[in-house]
Amino acid sequence: MLTTLIRRELLDNLMTFRFAAAVFITLLLVVANTAVLLKDYEQRLMDYNDAVKTHQRQMQAKKTYSAGEVRIDRPPNPLSIFNAGYDKRVGNEVQVSHTYVPSLWDAGMHGADNPFMDMFASMDIVFIFEVILSLLALIFAYDTLAGEYERGTLRLVLTSHVRRGHVLLAKYISAMICLLVPLLISLLLAVILLTTTPSISLNTDDFLRIGGILLASVAYLSVFYLIGLLISSATRRTGTALMLSMFVWGFLVLIYPNTILAVIPRSEAPQTRAASAFSQIKQMWEGEFERERRHFLATDAFPGIDWNLGLRGSGSDPYAYFWGDPRTLRYSFEGILAFEGFDEKEEHKIPHAQSHFRFLGSLIIRTADQTWLVRKPALEDIFIHPANVKRLYLKLSPVGLYDAATQAWTDTDLHGVRDFFDAARRYRQEVIDALYDKEAFGSRQWFSSDQGAADWSILPEFAFQRGNVNTNAKRALPDVGILLMMNVVIFILIFLIFVKSEV
Amino acid sequence: MWHIVKRELYDNLNSLRFALATVLLLGLMLTNAILHLREHPERVQKYSENVAAHQNRLKSHADASFYTLAQKGPGDLHKKPSPLHFCAARGEAFLSAHVSSFQSWSWQERGLEGLWTLGYPSATPNRDNLDPEVTKVDWGFIIGYVLSLLALLFTFDAISNEREHGTLRLILANAIPRHTVLIGKFLGALVSVSIPFTFAVLVNLLVISISSDVYLSADAWGRLGIIYFIALLYTCLFLALGLLVSARVQRSAVSLVILLLAWVTLVVFMPSTLASIAGHSSSEGRSSSLRTGLGFWERREEFDTRWHEAREDERKKIQLSGEYVTQDAEQRERSHEEHLKRRISQVNRARTITRLSPVTIVEHLLESFAGTGFERHLQFLENVQSYARQFRQFIVDTDRADPESLHIIGVREGVSQKPVNPEAVPKFEDIRNFGRDFNTAVMDLLLLTLFFVVLFSGAFLAFVRVEI
Repeated sequence: MLTTLIRRELLDNLMTFRFAAAVFITLLLVVANTAVLLKDYEQRLMDYNDAVKTHQRQMQAKKTYSAGEVRIDRPPNPLSIFNAGYDKRVGNEVQVSHTYVPSLWDAGMHGADNPFMDMFASMDIVFIFEVILSLLALIFAYDTLAGEYERGTLRLVLTSHVRRGHVLLAKYISAMICLLVPLLISLLLAVILLTTTPSISLNTDDFLRIGGILLASVAYLSVFYLIGLLISSATRRTGTALMLSMFVWGFLVLIYPNTILAVIPRSEAPQTRAASAFSQIKQMWEGEFERERRHFLATDAFPGIDWNLGLRGSGSDPYAYFWGDPRTLRYSFEGILAFEGFDEKEEHKIPHAQSHFRFLGSLIIRTADQTWLVRKPALEDIFIHPANVKRLYLKLSPVGLYDAATQAWTDTDLHGVRDFFDAARRYRQEVIDALYDKEAFGSRQWFSSDQGAADWSILPEFAFQRGNVNTNAKRALPDVGILLMMNVVIFILIFLIFVKSEV
Repeated sequence: MWHIVKRELYDNLNSLRFALATVLLLGLMLTNAILHLREHPERVQKYSENVAAHQNRLKSHADASFYTLAQKGPGDLHKKPSPLHFCAARGEAFLSAHVSSFQSWSWQERGLEGLWTLGYPSATPNRDNLDPEVTKVDWGFIIGYVLSLLALLFTFDAISNEREHGTLRLILANAIPRHTVLIGKFLGALVSVSIPFTFAVLVNLLVISISSDVYLSADAWGRLGIIYFIALLYTCLFLALGLLVSARVQRSAVSLVILLLAWVTLVVFMPSTLASIAGHSSSEGRSSSLRTGLGFWERREEFDTRWHEAREDERKKIQLSGEYVTQDAEQRERSHEEHLKRRISQVNRARTITRLSPVTIVEHLLESFAGTGFERHLQFLENVQSYARQFRQFIVDTDRADPESLHIIGVREGVSQKPVNPEAVPKFEDIRNFGRDFNTAVMDLLLLTLFFVVLFSGAFLAFVRVEI
């Protein structure tokens, strides 16, 4: 019986104009935008490769360890064409140095050299689905029950011993099959375009992630279809159902996500938190660090407290200073020496300088690690926590849930980009270990290249591996779960209304 | 005809969509007003603080010496916030609110300092702000997105519904010409949409104007009037589109599907897709990215050798230093400006292409009348550049007026040693020009009217020829 009902409903839906229009418009938008997005991705990949090469070259050109700058770059995420998330927004290159612990807020940006172009909103496939699929779902749903009430056909169907639950289920299943057609075809075309692009190679995990996006999309689609069905069963008239559906759509998709963040009150707490944390960090550098440094310089065998021991040689513009940014709470002591040669009479200072820089190196690393313990929770409180609260507000609408879930699948959410900076911090530790291993801090090459330049090959290679699909699933499934739960709740609601209603 | 208008109006006033539209528009406009009242006083205060800092800086430099003033320049120059920020605020976040003028180097060995140049900082609001990206709820959003959707919801069934019920045949049987029916329906829908919109606008302006923190001048009210009429014109465009589809299509459900898909394509997707296509079509902005240090060391080396060649000739040394400093500044200024020009032309190309979508046109129009957005930013940059010329001219003129000076700008010994009157130093004022705003807007206005005329005549033809 159920299959008969489904077949009837399916045929009814498939032959309509709205079905053809739905397929056509979804395909058109997805294919056109995928092509543009792929081009954008290739451009970003090219920028990334250029940046990696430039940074390699710049590092090799430095003759001393102290002048060296190790910069690492974040590769663009190929799945960002599905949901761009933070992939294009936050910094994609960061300096790895022993003087501070790198974080998201210390990152710079390579590529995209026209910030004016940010004025134009960017788009991704999930955004298209967000707008189009929800609209299509409501267009399919508004007259399913109300139309049958009006025409009286529902009464006819129910006279032939069909259970109401079956009618509802048949309608739901057939409409979902119809709605899945444009979704699947357009997603398939996008994947085909993706795989035929030579610069992109997808692995099994990536296909599983795309599967995850599909799952989230189906759940999202179904929520909107059920919302439409709920309206349809509650109002019983197609005209009213249609109007109500359109306003609900406008509210959920267009208005709620854009207004809610503006309406929630702003808190002033992060500013005071930033100020106190920054003064604490500053105190650690200028108090304890400075005291120990001066103490060493005053008590070592060499007279004077000049940080470079008055070394004079050729080819250097030495400088040392404290540098801080109260907004991002970064504070560091930078001292750079890069001599190319010395006079004979400077030679006796060199052992002293070596022991000083050996001491200074470990002192800087220790202080940097200590300040990170203060800086990390402060950054969480100032930037991450408010952003998460705002995200939570957005998740009250299915649009926000869908966006969050797909971002988690594509690895472009906050967790995903922060993974890179976790890797950068681990890499910094590796670099420091390598420098310690080779005694770089106490070596002559730390400040002078007169007896051979710094050997950069001692540093480990940096390679950023994205987490596997399990981590993505762990991050995405709660949101997908809520979406599915919404489905169940609304379905039960519709069922109750439909069973109790008079035909 | 008035009878038809009245009938349409009564029909609409009692409908669900009218009530929902009123609530929706009112809520959005109130949100907009409250946000403006919360943010605008801060913006104005920050601007006046910045202006005061700029003037203090000029004064302290002028008090120090003529050389300091000539060398350090006017400091940061700030953009005056528009009182109509709430009308079109979307682009503002991506445009920097100031242009900085700064000294980039000092060379203590030689006692030289770089001459100030203009630098154009870029606003990247998202770099360390991790908040989710959302569209600002300004008038541009309310008019561009919500009002256009409402216009379609009010007209999708205007003709097809009557045809379905057979009432259209009845009307036309009364010897009323078809165009009267169409115009009547159009005006009826226009009045029905503009009632909630006008109501919401009035509430919005009432809330904004009763607050003592925000002051709107007569000029601002005039601009608001123009913006209101632009909104109505834009609504007319979508009403005409709705009537066109409604007249062509037999069933109102089909008409709605077509209209909604057209709306989504025109309003939501076209602006961003076209912009990204335009952004990629030009790669010249990328390849030659800015290197501020370009040729810096070469210039310095060349100067150094010539300086050594001059040996004991102090006069010659001063002259060489002056030449070096001014040339260096010119070079840097030129490279900054070229870079800026390339960026601007890329954006202008993208803006031209996105004009295919009416929502972009209306956004441009709103921006130019609200005094925000990209055109306004260009005007600000022009003001800054003309001020920079004025400032340099002032330095040259003051130096010329002193007979004891060597007239070599850029070196301490080469310029006038007399104190400067701080009052005489030109001050930066960010002036907006209404006539210019109107000029840039005319094209968009004509384009919008053209869209409307085409769609309305389409609707007319479709309705006249259609069989009932």
